[in-house]
Amino acid sequence: MKLRVVAAILVAVSLGVVAATAQAGGQRVTANKLTVWLQVDAQSGWPEVVAAANQQFQQQNPGWTVDVQYQNWGDHLQKFDATIAGNDTPDVIEMGNTEMTKYMAAGAFADLTSAKSQFSNSSSWLSGLAKSASYGGKTFGVPYYAGSRVITYRSDLFKKAGIKKAPTSMKQFQADLVKVGKMQKKVKGFSPLYVGGEDWYTALSFVFDYGGSIATTHKGKWIGTLDSPRSVAGLTAFKNFFKATQSKSTATLDGTSPFPYTVFSQGLTAANYGPAWYSCCTGAKYKTATAQFVMPSHVAGKSMPGFLGGSDLAVPAQSGSKTQAIQWLADFTSTSNERSLQAKGNIPNATNLLGASVNERAAAQSWFVPQAKHWVDVENGNILKTMLAQILTGRLTVKQAASVASDNIAQTLNES
Amino acid sequence: MAGATVPYLLLLPVVLVMGAILGYPIYNLVRLSTQRYGLFELLQHHGIPVGLHNYGSVLHDAVFWHTLLRTVVFTIVNVGLTMGIGTLIALLMVRVSAWVRILLAAGLVLVWSMPPVVAVQVWNWMTNSQNGVLNYILTELRLGDYFQHNWYETPFSQLGMVTTLVVWGALPFVAITVYAALSQVPRDLIEAAETDGATAWRVFKDVTVPVIRPALLILTSLSILWDFGIFTQAYLLIGPGHIVPENYLMGVYLFQEGYVRTDFGRGAAISILMLVIVALMSAVYVRRMLKLGDEA
Repeated sequence: MKLRVVAAILVAVSLGVVAATAQAGGQRVTANKLTVWLQVDAQSGWPEVVAAANQQFQQQNPGWTVDVQYQNWGDHLQKFDATIAGNDTPDVIEMGNTEMTKYMAAGAFADLTSAKSQFSNSSSWLSGLAKSASYGGKTFGVPYYAGSRVITYRSDLFKKAGIKKAPTSMKQFQADLVKVGKMQKKVKGFSPLYVGGEDWYTALSFVFDYGGSIATTHKGKWIGTLDSPRSVAGLTAFKNFFKATQSKSTATLDGTSPFPYTVFSQGLTAANYGPAWYSCCTGAKYKTATAQFVMPSHVAGKSMPGFLGGSDLAVPAQSGSKTQAIQWLADFTSTSNERSLQAKGNIPNATNLLGASVNERAAAQSWFVPQAKHWVDVENGNILKTMLAQILTGRLTVKQAASVASDNIAQTLNES
Repeated sequence: MAGATVPYLLLLPVVLVMGAILGYPIYNLVRLSTQRYGLFELLQHHGIPVGLHNYGSVLHDAVFWHTLLRTVVFTIVNVGLTMGIGTLIALLMVRVSAWVRILLAAGLVLVWSMPPVVAVQVWNWMTNSQNGVLNYILTELRLGDYFQHNWYETPFSQLGMVTTLVVWGALPFVAITVYAALSQVPRDLIEAAETDGATAWRVFKDVTVPVIRPALLILTSLSILWDFGIFTQAYLLIGPGHIVPENYLMGVYLFQEGYVRTDFGRGAAISILMLVIVALMSAVYVRRMLKLGDEA
């Protein structure tokens, strides 16, 4: 009898535990709070812009609070997917411009077409960014800021090597770098221009410079074009450039480990090709010797097309506060805030705000990834990095590696 | 009458809890594995039934079979190294003086207490090609020119680095458990064998091992289960930016297909297949355990 009592108590307790855990999952705070997901770039680079937008928003919407949650590029999409599953998405989310299409195609974002007029300068948004935020003729995102790629270099070393002017062609630039390399050959591990071999933003700039491309559509199907003669010419040029400018093979390193500016700050390179904000982190020792110019093309007098990176801001379709989300977006991307972003070295979101900085001049010639909903899978599948590692380590010829990558890209993009 | 129902009643709480925390998720997982469930379906909160299509597509995917083979080899190597080195450390602990033993045990416990994510970070720093202390030390010791040597150049070297990390992290548990088992070996048995002229190896093989066999069996089986399903160390040490089909382990393959490509149905099918493989391996383990129980 006693045992039965004990058993009954145990059953009751365990049921209680189950019930308690079931309850804890269902709670959700909906009261006048706007949840905003921004990337950490804003937290470290321009927190005052975020604060200004929040303040303006709260003045317009008394009683509302803004909860800004900072995210990392590496896992923010997986976290976003989880909030979709749990019906608990943020009200505003920052998306990389290459990440937009997959989510727009699936219907993850609210249609902002009719609200477009509420956003400052929306009639002159940067076409590259505006395109990345539209799908099927509708607008699903507000351009936030863009960044082009420029050469950040050590002016003291260039001067010492007798280079007086910024190079106007790739051939001249390569010759300049070789000259700097010879001068510095006693510095162990010195690369005249440090670039990780798998940094596909750099490699594909050569591809586009030679008139190549990544993929095109034909009769509704994607066709990989990295193995086209022009693309192969571009990849070959990149390989030659890489071999001429690297001290020790960095063929299997990518653009972030190590960060090129870290190598710069250690005095181990005279130049980097990357976002203009690389000048932030070239080290105190070289601060006064840090300068920038636009990467020259293989065609003399022209500049090489650079990847136009950037961010858009979208309102998830499941947000319960869309009106407020749109208002916050309008506040956040106001002309004055975009000017502040520009002052931090970013490209503002509209052509009428453009200045003449090296970053903005470089943006005049740019390229972008194919607008396919599975493009982000090509990036996350590291298909381009694999190709570059194969080319630069000599495991495959340029043509072979490009052809494998091209097939993989087409297969990924054509998935249903 | 009362005697017959009591055991079942006593089991009931456990069954209920297990049902809630294991049964329900597994039921959902099986259901998910028979659906087309991508980003679009996630937004609708509603999958499209496709029967066994996901299983068919996984089993017809060469990447699955290559990954399975790679994971099996990886598991054999990792478990072999873990058990071998772990047992050697345990034997060492028996022989050394008390304070060295305490020092060793403390070191092992410290290793054990380090979370895998932190360990990955430390490993990353030490093996960093630009500033890593490993390259520096190897070069200073004149063991070759390791200046800016990249330890993660090929899938083989990447998985080799993962192996060092996994084995390092798994050693404490094995070493301490085997050491505990070794203390059960009767001293007089060993002395008797030695008096009869048995070599050290012979004593170990024929006296020590039979006594500690149950512990070795349990440890090996558990290590197989853990190493087969490894994810954290492999994914983070190789790094998301370098995860490619050529270096997939099963756990990573599952993550890439399910979460990164947002194909949850396919991901669920892969995890069910993994579950079946692990269940088969556990069956062997449970049977051995039961047999040992009978012998005792």
